Amino acid sequence: MVSPGESDETPDSMVRVVARRLPGPSLMVAAALIAKGYAEVGDGFAAGVIVALAIALVYVALGGEAAEAALPLLRHAPKLAVGGLLLALASGFFPLALGEPPVSHRPAPGEHVVKIGVLELFTPLLFDIGVFLLVVGVLTILLHHLARPRGEARR
Amino acid sequence: MLMSVALLVPWVAGVLLVAFDGRRHVVAWLAVASLTATLVLVSVLAADVLGGGTQQLVTGGWPAGVGIVLRADALGVAFAWLSVLVLLAGAAHEAVRRVRSRTFPGLVVLLAAGLTGLFITADVFTFYVFFELAMTASYALSAYGGKRRQLRAALVFTAVNLLGSFIFLLSVAGAYRVTGTLAMDQIADRMVAVNPNASLLIAAGFFIAFSVKLGLFPFHFWLPTVYAGSRPAVAAILSGAVANIGAYGLLRFGAGVFPGQLEKTGVALAVLGAVSIVYGGVLAIGRGDTAEMLAYSAIGQVGYVLVALGVGGPVGLTAAVLYSVVNSLNKALLFLASGTRGLFIASAFAIGALSVAGVPPTAGFVGKLELFRTGVVAGSVALVVLLVVGSVLSLVYMFQVYQRAFWREGPVAAGAASPVAQRLLVAVLAVLVLAAGLWPEPLLALSARAVEALLVEGPG
Repeated sequence: MVSPGESDETPDSMVRVVARRLPGPSLMVAAALIAKGYAEVGDGFAAGVIVALAIALVYVALGGEAAEAALPLLRHAPKLAVGGLLLALASGFFPLALGEPPVSHRPAPGEHVVKIGVLELFTPLLFDIGVFLLVVGVLTILLHHLARPRGEARR
Repeated sequence: MLMSVALLVPWVAGVLLVAFDGRRHVVAWLAVASLTATLVLVSVLAADVLGGGTQQLVTGGWPAGVGIVLRADALGVAFAWLSVLVLLAGAAHEAVRRVRSRTFPGLVVLLAAGLTGLFITADVFTFYVFFELAMTASYALSAYGGKRRQLRAALVFTAVNLLGSFIFLLSVAGAYRVTGTLAMDQIADRMVAVNPNASLLIAAGFFIAFSVKLGLFPFHFWLPTVYAGSRPAVAAILSGAVANIGAYGLLRFGAGVFPGQLEKTGVALAVLGAVSIVYGGVLAIGRGDTAEMLAYSAIGQVGYVLVALGVGGPVGLTAAVLYSVVNSLNKALLFLASGTRGLFIASAFAIGALSVAGVPPTAGFVGKLELFRTGVVAGSVALVVLLVVGSVLSLVYMFQVYQRAFWREGPVAAGAASPVAQRLLVAVLAVLVLAAGLWPEPLLALSARAVEALLVEGPG
């Protein structure tokens, strides 16, 4: 990302500090979006995009290598994406094993649902978490490739 | 149940395989194994559908309209089976040698999931979702090989087809706007009452989207660069499996969802198809490069499908289905043969060439025969003449390249023979093309059943 002849190579320290701290709160916003998504606007996809935006800022502010050194979890993005997709597929297709059509959910409509505050614990929640992980994972993989230094792109 | 499993197997297998290094033999062969499993599942599903009629499933057990409707009818399973077969051949072709990229095996399996899904859905938006899954996998596949040529092909392919997908999405939105539903049969029912200008515009949007996929004449410009630039296995996959989306889409949406609009524009479609045939045929003559010739030939060959669709009626549609199937087999055989060297590859290529030209006893002859029948039923002399001209053109360009590639001693003919397994694979495809020509009854019955499902049982 650094081009020769540029005197000021890194962004402002303010940006770097904010970028470094932002992923935490963005996870909270994402969790809130998923939790309220069943009654109001919000779902795993939107939640994933919000966290990915925070991660994008980290990449912009710190550069690829430093970003991944600061948040080592970013290196595991491919596992996150594949794991998320498998989780979403599993929560969509598990009813087949019970002899029901795909995308049926447990507890079934009308049955008692365990609630923690506004959070309802039922299998579509797993689907949304899966989609969330998939979106975060895929967008981080893209950011990783875009943030690679130029020489490395040849590999 | 079977429908869901046929969808689940390639999906999960594809996701898992993408995570592993596809250059390892185990991963490549696991991909071949999961495609084989998918092919078996689709075959069982096809047997069920052909024996016991259309199967339907609504996700989540919701009433139709709330849940997504998956419906497997004869037309859908025929295309699903054909596409998975071609994908299997392409994947096995690469697995025998050595896969050159990490993601190739996983992507081919994911492509199988996308294609199977879109052939068995009865909902326009779900169709779009699977369509995008398949297209995203094929964008990545078209870059397979990683050389400058392939990257150029991938860029052209992706740019043009993204535009096509966008037009498709716009038409989906338009259809939803005027009918208030996304289920294919309901759209078809309510389209009758819609303002004819609006419905014709939406139908034209779908037509353009699928023509881009198929590479029909005015939308063909991307095709030669892509088919000639990508590796033979990928070209076989793109022209034998991915292009099926276009043919299936034209049949499903044209004859199933927009029968009124299809009837009104039939003549225009037939003319476009005729232009495609002549354009592809003329430009294919004199191409030095086999892949480039095959690419122009592909433009000409899909013209026949459009002509048959334009004529319409049970006879025309049956010919369109039959010719799509035959063309897809031909292209898979020819592209794979063009990437292989050694004993009986020349004969396999010749069988494919004869089939494209429509010479007995190959499958292409049966296809041409049905097209002639269409021409006679339509009572059109021009159509019959066009078919003869088209066949002569394909005979000329096919054997020009055949001579250059297999008779002349030169840099092309030289080169080490390919592994036996790779050659056997091409031979199996060639035998399949021959068998379909010698014993055409199953293929004819299948096409007739597919059209019956399309016309009698209604769309979706």
